[in-house]
Amino acid sequence: MRREIPLIIFIFWFETFLFAAEAGMPQLDSKYWFSQSFWLILIFLALYLSLSKFFIPKIKDNLDNREKKIEENLNAAKEFTDLADKKKLDYDNEISNAKKEVAKIINESKKQLDKNINKKKNEFEKELEKEINKAEKEILNLKKNSSKSINSIAEEISEKVIENLTGEKLNNSSIKASIEEVSKIKMDKYL
Amino acid sequence: MHQFQVYRLGPEIKLGNVDLSFTNSSLFMLISALSICIFLYFGSKKKGIIPSRLQLVAEIFYNFIAKMISDTAGSKAKPYFPFIFTLFMFVLLCNMVGMLPYSFTVTSHIIVTLVMAVFIFIAVTIIGFVKHGLKYLSIFVPKGVPVVLLPLITVIEIISYLSRPVSLSVRLFANMMAGHTMLKVFGSFVISLGLLGGWLPLSFSVALTGLEILVAFLQAYVFAILTCIYLNDALNLHH
Repeated sequence: MRREIPLIIFIFWFETFLFAAEAGMPQLDSKYWFSQSFWLILIFLALYLSLSKFFIPKIKDNLDNREKKIEENLNAAKEFTDLADKKKLDYDNEISNAKKEVAKIINESKKQLDKNINKKKNEFEKELEKEINKAEKEILNLKKNSSKSINSIAEEISEKVIENLTGEKLNNSSIKASIEEVSKIKMDKYL
Repeated sequence: MHQFQVYRLGPEIKLGNVDLSFTNSSLFMLISALSICIFLYFGSKKKGIIPSRLQLVAEIFYNFIAKMISDTAGSKAKPYFPFIFTLFMFVLLCNMVGMLPYSFTVTSHIIVTLVMAVFIFIAVTIIGFVKHGLKYLSIFVPKGVPVVLLPLITVIEIISYLSRPVSLSVRLFANMMAGHTMLKVFGSFVISLGLLGGWLPLSFSVALTGLEILVAFLQAYVFAILTCIYLNDALNLHH
């Protein structure tokens, strides 16, 4: 029992406090009912009139304006996209035309170039042939000349050699004849 | 309780035998109404394509009520939009202003909610009779009910129809009063338990305040949507 004493005290204290909070219901006091109704009707009516005549149309206007403007902008955007698509098509056409023209020009100049190259080639070949002929003739001349000079050199050398060996001067014409004989036989071997 | 006490402010105004003095209740009605006007003034002042914050909130409220009306009562209820919008905003602001400390909650008085509910009841009944004539009485005779049950059902329907203003007003009044009473009780717990034990009721009353703000919005919404439903019954007779 002693243990419960604090609890009982607490409950009693709690109860008095609860009753203190509840001091009747002023809502049921009819003293100001008419006043409250009167002011409610007055203020509500004023609020209703100002809202329905002034604020609600304004908000509605704002909303309608926004919707209209968004729609207009969307339409304008659509028009612009269409325009852009058209421009893109034109551009593509122009590009493909230009490409065709470029191919044509390249083809033509290629043909012209081939022609020129062939012409030059022919001319060059002709000139080359001429030069070759000339060179061959020269070589032939050189061959002949060289055989003659070889003969004369051989004559001189053999004359000197014979002179040194024998101390006698031999007849020029006999040496010449023998050298010509030898060279006729052997010249083809060396030249 | 002191927070529900109505007292006279300024001089006594008497019309014959009737006391029409300006009271603290009238003052807070006026504060709520003026707050609505100021809010909507700044919410509709600028005509920007991209709305400012306040404008966005005002437009959200507008669209919210417009959608609620078209969902519950159809397109026929469009002319009543300003009334329902005003009703919703007024009840909401009265509830919300009442959440401020030391303020007075207008909607926690049965007479205020009763006047609104009775007005709605009478207006809806008149609209019903004007639109449909005596056919409006068929609202008390639901379709597809066996003939044997019909007398009973009709009596029940009449009683439920007549109790509409009472249920509408008492719902709002009782919710507001109960919430504020609970806040008051927990508030006095904090004082009496002191620094040592007061923390628990304090945290409780913080949570309750959040709940009460939700209730304030919810009750305004319920009040408006029930008005819409009653209006729907009067405008579109079939159900």
